[in-house]
Amino acid sequence: MKIRITEYLDIDLAAETWCCHGCGQKFGNARDNYKKGLLIAERPLEEVHQPLVTGEQFSFKPDPDYCRLIELYCPNCGALIDNEYLPPGHPLTHDIELDIDALKRKHGVC
Amino acid sequence: MTSSYYGRDEEVVQRLRPEPMTAEEEAAQAGIEDIDFDIFRHKMHMIALEGKETTMKLGASTAMRWGDVAFGIFTAQGDLAICATGIYHHAVLGQIPIKYIVKHWRDEPSVGVRDGDAFFYNDPYYGGVHAADMGLAIPVFAGNRLICFVGAAVHTGECGGTEPGGTVQNAKSKYYEGLQMPPIKVGEKYALREDLLNMFAAMNRDPRTMILDLKARLAAARIVQRRILALVNEKGADFVIGALRRVLKVTGEAARQKVAALNDGVYRQPRFLDMVGSEPGLTRINLTVIKKGDRLTLDLTGSSPMLHDKPLNSFFQGLIGLAMVYFCGWFFHDLPANNGLLEAVDWKFPDDSLVNAKGEVSTSLAPVVQSYFAHAMFLCGARMVYSNDPKRAVAAWFSGFAIPIYAGINQAGEPVADITPEINATGAGGRSDMDGVDGAGAFFATVSDCSDVEATEADRPVVYLFRNFFNGSYGHGKYRGGAGAGVGLMVHHVPWLAMGSMGAGAHFPSTLGLFGGNAVPPTFVQTVDGSNMKALMRANDSPIARSLAEVYSAMNPEQGDRKFNDIDMVVRPRLNGDTSYISVSGGGGYGDPLEREPAAVLRDLKFGRTTAWAAQNIYHVVYDPDSLRLDEAATIARRQDVRQRRIARGRPYEEFMADWRKLTPPKDILKYYGSYPDPEAGFAPQALPKAVNM
Repeated sequence: MKIRITEYLDIDLAAETWCCHGCGQKFGNARDNYKKGLLIAERPLEEVHQPLVTGEQFSFKPDPDYCRLIELYCPNCGALIDNEYLPPGHPLTHDIELDIDALKRKHGVC
Repeated sequence: MTSSYYGRDEEVVQRLRPEPMTAEEEAAQAGIEDIDFDIFRHKMHMIALEGKETTMKLGASTAMRWGDVAFGIFTAQGDLAICATGIYHHAVLGQIPIKYIVKHWRDEPSVGVRDGDAFFYNDPYYGGVHAADMGLAIPVFAGNRLICFVGAAVHTGECGGTEPGGTVQNAKSKYYEGLQMPPIKVGEKYALREDLLNMFAAMNRDPRTMILDLKARLAAARIVQRRILALVNEKGADFVIGALRRVLKVTGEAARQKVAALNDGVYRQPRFLDMVGSEPGLTRINLTVIKKGDRLTLDLTGSSPMLHDKPLNSFFQGLIGLAMVYFCGWFFHDLPANNGLLEAVDWKFPDDSLVNAKGEVSTSLAPVVQSYFAHAMFLCGARMVYSNDPKRAVAAWFSGFAIPIYAGINQAGEPVADITPEINATGAGGRSDMDGVDGAGAFFATVSDCSDVEATEADRPVVYLFRNFFNGSYGHGKYRGGAGAGVGLMVHHVPWLAMGSMGAGAHFPSTLGLFGGNAVPPTFVQTVDGSNMKALMRANDSPIARSLAEVYSAMNPEQGDRKFNDIDMVVRPRLNGDTSYISVSGGGGYGDPLEREPAAVLRDLKFGRTTAWAAQNIYHVVYDPDSLRLDEAATIARRQDVRQRRIARGRPYEEFMADWRKLTPPKDILKYYGSYPDPEAGFAPQALPKAVNM
């Protein structure tokens, strides 16, 4: 039984695994951080935020001293599962940590 | 003073949840029929709405005129039972000053609470936000029996700080911030105390607005008082007292039921601020939401330390107020907006943190701290609710303020000091089934307006060069954020005007996307001193910029001393003809931009809501640039190629993290952060002064 958790993430309750909603690719233990099962890349900021000014401190592009853009992809279909804007080197966020036992009880999965 | 001490009341600010039910309240609920209760709730809401509308119609400040108004009906104990507002945090926080009045002044012989009294307050410790937010409340008596309190809380744009316009970016302590009044009786026997009004006027750069706003709150409260007393005459005092309390009871029960339906778990979102006032610098607000059973716990452990000589701090109660913006507007959108909702919420704030200000530190920029926190609530909330109700999973609205501030003498020779109203025209966040609404409002004041420019120009010494949607103001995504406003302003009519702006997000985006959606681009202020704009305007054929996009085009003919300033720009004198340009931005994007319907991209191109650059580089749509006709097959192929390139460049988690962990921001921007990356590691909380018993 799969439960939809976000736009791109399912949990297979019986197998206790995170899955890609689009292609079903398994991302690992549902009790762990799903990001550990994804492919990760840092995107150059100017590829996503077009600078409208050159040679100045501000340009509509984030300042790389403060901010980097991390993208997380499904290793099978290449879907963008999520992204994070973080200061350089800041740990990725374990943003969803579900009580899997409670979720299984809720859905009648033993 | 017989009931307290001369110092901050640290107990009363803890009482955000409903007070224990009194015997009178319990007895008064007996015998209220369900149908009578429903009619009562509707009627009281309409009465409160009349209070809100009256406040807006009579007020003078930008925020009051355009709807950043909270009008509340509070129980005799001070709990907010009925709220008419687009700005929920003031309504929820507005109960603290009422509870202060009940606790300290009701039985104080030198003050008392009597029919015909009026109380004013703007101390941010009790109001929860900052000194520019001011409230006025009155007790409603039926005979000698206190039935309830009613009152309005609104941002009045000037409070006499060391900088004009309600915020002080150079504040080193609360003493820079101007007027900070704990609840004080300003009227009795149905008359305002003119000596006190005179004092307020003397402490404010814009006395006309200060006094008009204060009187507007009172006039609205008196109308609401009249309506409630009519209801008391019809249904009896017991009915009104009991029904007000019952509103809180049923709200709390419903809130807990609604929370119980969500998936148990822990949801996290750190937020990064990129300024500490007048100086850039990185800090972290760290939100963890723990959902278990029918309770939510908001845990701010791991946030950056309190800033002892900077204004970027907030009292904890202010964050709870902003949590209520999310709860009332989004999560509990179908429940009454009152503090009964907090029966389902607990909180934990670390000591000596910028989210739990103590002592004499400045909280002048608390709205920014609270806005960033509320943004984290949006993101945690979306992850929490998606599984149950995807349509309530919404990317955050613009959270960076970007508010122009001004002060000086206007074209009629009158002093003015305030903000412009475009904060009420920011874009909504994208959502699971539609784009964010363009120019939707402010996330904390959704039922508000940004005025027409002529109304603002009528008594403010500026001309709007343009104010329209900026196609570079929002986050891209499967559903894009709503567009915000690009604004061009020129000083006009007067020799000079002090101008600046308040906000955050010039370095690090203030507003993130959701489920892969892009963040809102950074925003900043471009100023042109000694501009040739007036000469260009006199020449009929000059192609002056008509949008922010045109300001940044190579064709812009404007010349002068051009500067690019942080969005948190301390006011400075600007001369007649000087110009300013700012993006009061849009909402965060929702979902993978590659999933956006190509037709939606082309529609945005047609109507100027997106750029060719974004269509080609973000959405990867292939089309004829002249006809905007879609090449569907080529678009599918190109998007598939982009997905393959993602797989090629992506690295497994541990491999990526091995290199990523080696990075760190430059030391100079971590000056205020605490230990990096966890601000609390190695950080010892400092002993702080307590309130002094007198």
